[in-house]
Amino acid sequence: MNPYALAYREQQQLFIFDRTYLLGTLLKVGGLSTLLARFIVQFFWNPKVALVLTLLMLALSAYMTWAYVRESRKDWTTLPLSFIPAVFIGVSISDNSLHFDFLTSILLVQAGLLAFKSIKSKRTLWGTLLTIFLYFTAGPAAILFALCAAVNEKSLKSLCYPAVAAACGVIAYLTALVPTWTEAFTPVFHYDLDATMPLMHWGGWISLPATVLVCQMVKGLHFKRWPAFASGLVLLLLAFIPANKFSDKIKEGQPNLGAIFEHYTVNEDWDGLIKACKKAPWLPRTANYLNMALAWKGELAENLLKYDQHGPDGLVMTTQDRAVDVAQAHLMFAMGNVAAAQDVAFNTLSSLHGFCPAMLKINAQVELMRGSYEVADKYLSLLEKAPHYRKWAKEHRKYLYDDAAVEADPILGSGRLNLEAENHFIMYTNPMTELFPILDANPTDRRTLEYGLCYLLLAKDLNSVKHFIEDYYSSPDSPELPRIGQEAMVFYSEYSRNMEGVEPFGLDWCYEHGVQPETVNRFEEYKKAAVAGSSALRRFRETYWYYLVHKQI
Amino acid sequence: MRMNRITTILIFLTVTLAAYSCTGRPEGASQTDKEAAIFPDYKDVTVPANIAPLNFSVLGEKKAVLLAGDKAIKSRRGVFRFSPRKWRKLLESCADGGAIEMTVYTKKDGKWLSYRSFNIHVSQDRIDPWFSYRLIPPGYQGWQEMGIYQRNLETYSEKAILTNNLTGGNCMNCHTYRNGDPSKMVFHARASFGGTVMVNDGKVEKLNTQTDSTISALVYPYWHPSGEYVAFSVNKTLQAFYNHDPNRIEVYDQASDVVVYNVNSHEIAWSPQTKSEDRFETFPTFSPDGKWLYFCSAQAVSPMPDKHREVRYGLFRIAFNEENMTFGDCLECVYDAPAEGYSVSFPRISPDGRFLCFTRHGFGNFSIWHKDADLWLVDLQDGSVKPMQDVNSDDVDSFHTWSSDGRWMVFSSRRDDGLYTKPYFTHVDSEGNATKPFLLPQKDPAKYYKRQMKSYNLPAFTTDKVSVSKRKLTDVLRKSAGTDVKVK
Repeated sequence: MNPYALAYREQQQLFIFDRTYLLGTLLKVGGLSTLLARFIVQFFWNPKVALVLTLLMLALSAYMTWAYVRESRKDWTTLPLSFIPAVFIGVSISDNSLHFDFLTSILLVQAGLLAFKSIKSKRTLWGTLLTIFLYFTAGPAAILFALCAAVNEKSLKSLCYPAVAAACGVIAYLTALVPTWTEAFTPVFHYDLDATMPLMHWGGWISLPATVLVCQMVKGLHFKRWPAFASGLVLLLLAFIPANKFSDKIKEGQPNLGAIFEHYTVNEDWDGLIKACKKAPWLPRTANYLNMALAWKGELAENLLKYDQHGPDGLVMTTQDRAVDVAQAHLMFAMGNVAAAQDVAFNTLSSLHGFCPAMLKINAQVELMRGSYEVADKYLSLLEKAPHYRKWAKEHRKYLYDDAAVEADPILGSGRLNLEAENHFIMYTNPMTELFPILDANPTDRRTLEYGLCYLLLAKDLNSVKHFIEDYYSSPDSPELPRIGQEAMVFYSEYSRNMEGVEPFGLDWCYEHGVQPETVNRFEEYKKAAVAGSSALRRFRETYWYYLVHKQI
Repeated sequence: MRMNRITTILIFLTVTLAAYSCTGRPEGASQTDKEAAIFPDYKDVTVPANIAPLNFSVLGEKKAVLLAGDKAIKSRRGVFRFSPRKWRKLLESCADGGAIEMTVYTKKDGKWLSYRSFNIHVSQDRIDPWFSYRLIPPGYQGWQEMGIYQRNLETYSEKAILTNNLTGGNCMNCHTYRNGDPSKMVFHARASFGGTVMVNDGKVEKLNTQTDSTISALVYPYWHPSGEYVAFSVNKTLQAFYNHDPNRIEVYDQASDVVVYNVNSHEIAWSPQTKSEDRFETFPTFSPDGKWLYFCSAQAVSPMPDKHREVRYGLFRIAFNEENMTFGDCLECVYDAPAEGYSVSFPRISPDGRFLCFTRHGFGNFSIWHKDADLWLVDLQDGSVKPMQDVNSDDVDSFHTWSSDGRWMVFSSRRDDGLYTKPYFTHVDSEGNATKPFLLPQKDPAKYYKRQMKSYNLPAFTTDKVSVSKRKLTDVLRKSAGTDVKVK
């Protein structure tokens, strides 16, 4: 079970202490299980907590199964078997498309079974009432209650529980409380609307009544204690074989890297993000996250080539898809393209199961930048109702209706200036084209400036780099030209003399535009090393010259 | 003994509740000429005699008293909540077309302060008791939940007609009724389980409206008064997000035409005047006598979206013969907005046929994203055009529908926060004079609207509740293969 995948669930919802939200959730089929799930998942912002809480819930599930199937408190024979449903549920819950209420609904059912076990009189009536109650609070998992209760009771009367559960399903379908018969009667109820649920998720469902049935059969056969315990243990171990297969399948369909990167991003743990990216294989998206972490640390240009780079896609993946994409929203925000960030963040915010907190934060920030204080207030009010985000939201209240405070804030103030860029449609061409007008409006935005320079450098478009330096690194207020920019220009000045279609320029131009003499000296050393061979080149691996010559894009 | 105790508790509770909800007029209050800051702004609005209680908040005040007519009401956390009975009595006290006088008192430093009184005028023109709308995030392309809902205007009751959790999370839009008749409804579902759903006197039918001869599936609908036809546009629509523009988003057509659909034969027809290569035609609407088809039309420009600011729609009409589903030969210009440097959208004619209300804005057709969008009226008797000055705001005032008797109009406005659209209602008299609009009442409007993360989209009156079941609509969308629309 990947704790980061669990933590990612926290970003797919926003549990808020609000009457409308609580009632609105409760009054749906399976509402109580949804509410419980969302309440618990709000603490998953810490992956360790997410893992511990989930394991505790699975252990509780196993305990409740055992408490239900055992004959007495000293009956240990059924203990191993009781873990089987929890094993399958644990595997299923790693699939983020399966909602966490899959687990809480089963816990509610098991609590119902234990309560039912303790009832001594009018059991048929209570069993019927509990089935109805569970259907509307835990969803179709109530069928599991009905089946387990019927198996345990082994009486003709007990068949009324599955019948009542079926009737509840029919009512839920006919009154359009659920979209289809499948949702009314199966775990598909807990799966994403627009996705097909893998069959493996039936495991948690089937294994619960199956365990109850097996325990009933074992009791009838009067096995001796230790052989029964050992057989249960063997069955539990055997259950790990399909469970393990399912787990691998989930991992295949849902690589957890994105969840890991998102965890560090939403917690603004840039060192953690760099570390995680370094461990992962190179992919454009991995590099996007890594470079974003460098940008937020103010080290993008300085440390860009300390890491493996393969072209501008590693800086920002070009896409015109403005749909759900948390990474894209974070990237655009880091690049200073706040309008694009908001566009993607809003789409994502509205597209998940609840409100994605990180996307809501971006939206609140951009509304503050825009000066749309009423809308920002709306978002901050919502975040204030979520315990984990209350402090952040309260801190941002001071910017409401205070333009001076917004403009003085490094992120909000810079973002406001960026929004002053010449009007154009965003994500219509490519990210770089959109950075130019932003830089024209706000040349002081260092992150945007470095993104622009690095994009052109990684694209090996030296002529554009030269123009970029002329435009944005040549005024007295401009920051120092980063080392890799200097390296690029020294290289280009030398080779421009022999390149067709390029206006030659010399070192004078370089010195005028921020190139330091030591860079020129090092280039001479590099050229010697290049002639000497690969071992001599090792100390130049982090230079732009090495990237230019040896890295494929 | 036990009964006595229960009786005592009940009496205590009743007295406490009575004391809590009713109060006396604050004595010795000093007066100020200032107006109380209230939300929603119900000062001097005109409301129908059958509207739900207009609860409102005094902004920034927790202790306040309202003198409404001769009844004093204490605020609860700054909110004045009228009991339905008390509100009904207040409305009944204005049976002669009078107004309810409201005076707000607030307590500061132990002293009561009385603000300048205002009136809520009560019109005896009753409003259609239901209206429906789509609730959708005011965005851009993403949504998880959306739905078409209906609200009883006489109470606070809201019911879903259909929500997209039943249809695979798809988009649903353009719900339209024949002059407010809830038994004749049409709307579209897109993407998975897509199709146009036609509800016609209890019969629910799914239509596949894409044909080889049209550029898209059918889009903006408008019922013919006979119920035999529905006019639609077909549009190649795209949207883009601005870097820095107060309007944020631009929704534009790359091509569009207007067609008429025959409900019985499942055929569509058009005129060369409504489907031309060199013009964009959209937003059709029939006149109440069914003899004219009005629509917006603009000179086509290319390439889009580069030239999207050059697209300006005028208002045109063409004769329509319902006997044989044919069109006249002559296209008449009703309002040449482009000549004045403007564009029009969403023409809607009052049921008496006297006035045509449209949205006017600088360019393009999707006025909900245009802050300069205002409502205008054409007097179809003399052709004069005027803005609805008392209705319009500095922000978007757009999509509108008339009530079945033509005395009320509901429209979408972004005047409150500039992004989340809310429905406002205005009274329009027989001469086209409109009153200051009022926001849809809620139990606690300030809290409700702040918490509401969706826009009210396409508000439309209905004379009664839409009774078609969600199950039926869902099953038709999910299970029916649908009827293919043919070209006549």
